[in-house]
Amino acid sequence: MGLTFECARCHDHKYDPISQKEHFELYSFFNNIDELGLTPGGAGKIPKPYMTITEKEKNGVLSFVQIQKSKMEEIPVMVMNEMENIRPSFILNRGVYDQPTTQVYPNTPKSILPFPSEYPQNRLGLAKWLFHKDNPLTARVAVNRFWQRMFGNGLVASSFDFGNQGSLPTHPELLDFLAIKFREEGWDTRKILKYIALSATYQQSTEVTQELQEMDPENRLLARAPRLRLTAEVIRDQALKISGLLNREVGGPSVKPYQPAGIWEATTGGGGGSTATYVTSTGKDLYRKSLYTFWKRTVPPPSMMTFDAASRDLCTVKRQETNTPLQALVLLNDPQLIEASRLLAKTAMDTHMEKIDQISFIFKQATSRDPDEEELQMLGNYYSSMLEKVKNEDIGAEDYLSIGAYEIKGEYSKYKLAALALTAHSILNLDETISRG
Amino acid sequence: MSEKKIIEERSLILNRRAFLGKTALGVGGVALASLLGANLFRKDKNGILTKDDSPNGVKGILNSLHHPAKIKRVIYLFQSGGPSQLELFDHKPLLNKRRGEDLPESIRNGQRLTGMTAGQDKFPLVGSQFKFNKYGKNGTEISELLPYTAKMVDDLCIIKSMYTEAINHDPAVTFFQTGSQQPGRPSIGSWLSYGLGSENENLPAFTVLLSRGTGRPNGQPLYTRLWGNGFLHSLHQGVQFRAAKDPVLYLNDPKGITKEVKREMLDNIAALNDKHYQDNGDPEIKSRIAQYEMAYRMQTSVPNVMDTAKEPDYIYEMYGPEAKIPGTYAANCLLARRLAEQDVRFIQLYHMGWDQHDNLPGAIAKQAKDVDQASAALVADLKQRGLLEDTLVIWGGEFGRTNYSQGLLTETNYGRDHHPRSFTMWMAGGGIKPGMVYGETDDFGYNIVKDPVHVHDFQATMLHLLGIDHEKLTYKYQGRRFRLTDVEGHIVKDILT
Repeated sequence: MGLTFECARCHDHKYDPISQKEHFELYSFFNNIDELGLTPGGAGKIPKPYMTITEKEKNGVLSFVQIQKSKMEEIPVMVMNEMENIRPSFILNRGVYDQPTTQVYPNTPKSILPFPSEYPQNRLGLAKWLFHKDNPLTARVAVNRFWQRMFGNGLVASSFDFGNQGSLPTHPELLDFLAIKFREEGWDTRKILKYIALSATYQQSTEVTQELQEMDPENRLLARAPRLRLTAEVIRDQALKISGLLNREVGGPSVKPYQPAGIWEATTGGGGGSTATYVTSTGKDLYRKSLYTFWKRTVPPPSMMTFDAASRDLCTVKRQETNTPLQALVLLNDPQLIEASRLLAKTAMDTHMEKIDQISFIFKQATSRDPDEEELQMLGNYYSSMLEKVKNEDIGAEDYLSIGAYEIKGEYSKYKLAALALTAHSILNLDETISRG
Repeated sequence: MSEKKIIEERSLILNRRAFLGKTALGVGGVALASLLGANLFRKDKNGILTKDDSPNGVKGILNSLHHPAKIKRVIYLFQSGGPSQLELFDHKPLLNKRRGEDLPESIRNGQRLTGMTAGQDKFPLVGSQFKFNKYGKNGTEISELLPYTAKMVDDLCIIKSMYTEAINHDPAVTFFQTGSQQPGRPSIGSWLSYGLGSENENLPAFTVLLSRGTGRPNGQPLYTRLWGNGFLHSLHQGVQFRAAKDPVLYLNDPKGITKEVKREMLDNIAALNDKHYQDNGDPEIKSRIAQYEMAYRMQTSVPNVMDTAKEPDYIYEMYGPEAKIPGTYAANCLLARRLAEQDVRFIQLYHMGWDQHDNLPGAIAKQAKDVDQASAALVADLKQRGLLEDTLVIWGGEFGRTNYSQGLLTETNYGRDHHPRSFTMWMAGGGIKPGMVYGETDDFGYNIVKDPVHVHDFQATMLHLLGIDHEKLTYKYQGRRFRLTDVEGHIVKDILT
């Protein structure tokens, strides 16, 4: 809903018209689940209620998630079940769990939209209320987040707060127009994203003139396209994609790509368990999209965290976009990036004869544009210098080319391959490569 | 809103300098920094690195301290697992006298228990199996398990009246480190990096060193998020220094690449980035170039600080034989001193293995031996270098242990469960009264009877010593101003000089 609703857990909201009572009324919609939580009986036991995915579904409608890879014949999946006899909910004094006071019943904040009496007082009713045509928030908050996704900032910059403490929309009519369009066209996310992408505003150049910089340093008026750093996942996925390593398989169990040795082991209690030791995946599983990377919440993948991936500890509406020395170290020294550079060099040599064309190819793969003459010359000089160093054995070509599990087959000059891989390695480190726009 | 209006509003906000807080999550800050004519390398209020006017380091958000600081840096020797105060510092002869008797309900007074002892039908009291002796000018009682610490007692301020709200490890450690039992908030070191910046432009302001204890090798785990930046800029995250080939993750150059080749690559990247900056004008590109240079400098500065080979023999004798074994607590204490010499702001050690639920006597003896000599040596070493006067050293865990035995109490063996209501920590250094014992527990060693110190009080006091008003160092995130001490915390004035 784009509100700081949790403020009202301990007291009435200090700025927005949300009372503590309303907080617990909304809470009570969800306090009616007969889930047992973690049950005695050890790991692997699924507490009730759950539904079962059968053999037929595994191979039928759910085949895309590849659960056939699982050894289990029938897979239990936990579900939320509405209780028949409603569990009473109470206002908790100052939000403290063992201090219940007045009993409350499922209801929604009046200041947003009173709960229609014809709706059932359960989660179904709440869902209907969220998508009611007079609910002022749902569609606006949603399209604002899509806008944020496309432009870095929402039309309401505080995408997490549409309350009195939040920002005003820079373009209120546009926000309303998009919200209504989204609602009337069936809440179709793909469609609205495409609509935004095809707009003239989205397709502008990112070039910043002195004049624009002074008039609108934050680019709130969108007279230019924003320049955004790619997210942690996209930086890795892009390198996999352009080097041809990417495994595009959909669904299935998580995988464990390269990670520095010893970081799980250093923090585990030593009692064993499936996450005591990091066992790196092999073969194609090394190159799946970062979406499929195994995520240990107490020790998340460091290369992802360095690029501001969400820690999964708190709900994150908007990620940070930082610029730090540790990011430079990851891009320079992560074996995944070096392996991708090697593969990029190989592909360039497969498809182009001349060194200049090979470099142009790699540059365009990484930045989506052709290098200009000056850039080509700089990169060409760099390549020549590297080639000389490889030949003089100032660079250990075999060592460098052995980084990463992928084995290149076929006959390549190791000198040229190493020199071109080092050139690609530089290109993957450019600010432009890890930025959009 | 019309275009003109927005521009007017913008310049108004710029004048009020409120702009910076508003865009805490955006990239606008960099653009603004350049608009205001700032150079590279200084951290602006968004925590984004731009140029400093002073010769070294990066600035924090605070333009000036709230009051004069007593210390510049903190070394936090975190004893993870919950050391038993009853075997180390808090001598309770009554527990020996009434050994085996049930804990009176009047003393327990409804205290909730962990799932590990809640099912016990008896709570047999048990006193320390280890002797206590009196040390120092004030005759402070210290256990025979800590002979080296005992010798330093005139430099320490021992707080026997710490208490916390959490009874299990993860929430309790998280509470100490971030001020909240739930994960997701910035760690102390991140708050300091954000508030005060760094004094050393070649090393991170917040460094972390881990070691594993011998008292309970299969003990409680740690979590990298304990040194996470939470919602702050990731520049403020704690950087782990490891006893591994790569002392900082991703620090080493790839195989086959020499330093000269790496330099050439960085020059090439910088030249291309600079060219793109000329074409495009986004100041973020300039910042990226500076970050690559910092990364390059770290490749030299980190190995230098980690290389203890040139430390003289008498230093190794002070810290003990284990100081020569990388990755041990003793080696980490020595590294902590070296990092302090380099003006690293917050040096966080964790020593695991203090969770003695059973076989406590044997286990705690080993665990205490792991840390005793090196902890004392660190204080002495800082002192002899004149560093103790502007450094704060903290020793302590996330909670204490119960005065009754967990599991069977036999003639020679017992265990202790988690106890949040009272435990002991010590501090030493600038602004702290040396040779002091603060707070008191009852004869059962269960409840505090004098001068209780809450976790938030401890945090407020530490920030106070650094020149920070704990109520004023805040960060607005998702509609609320957060701070390390949440909505509580009182400075413990009695222990300050």
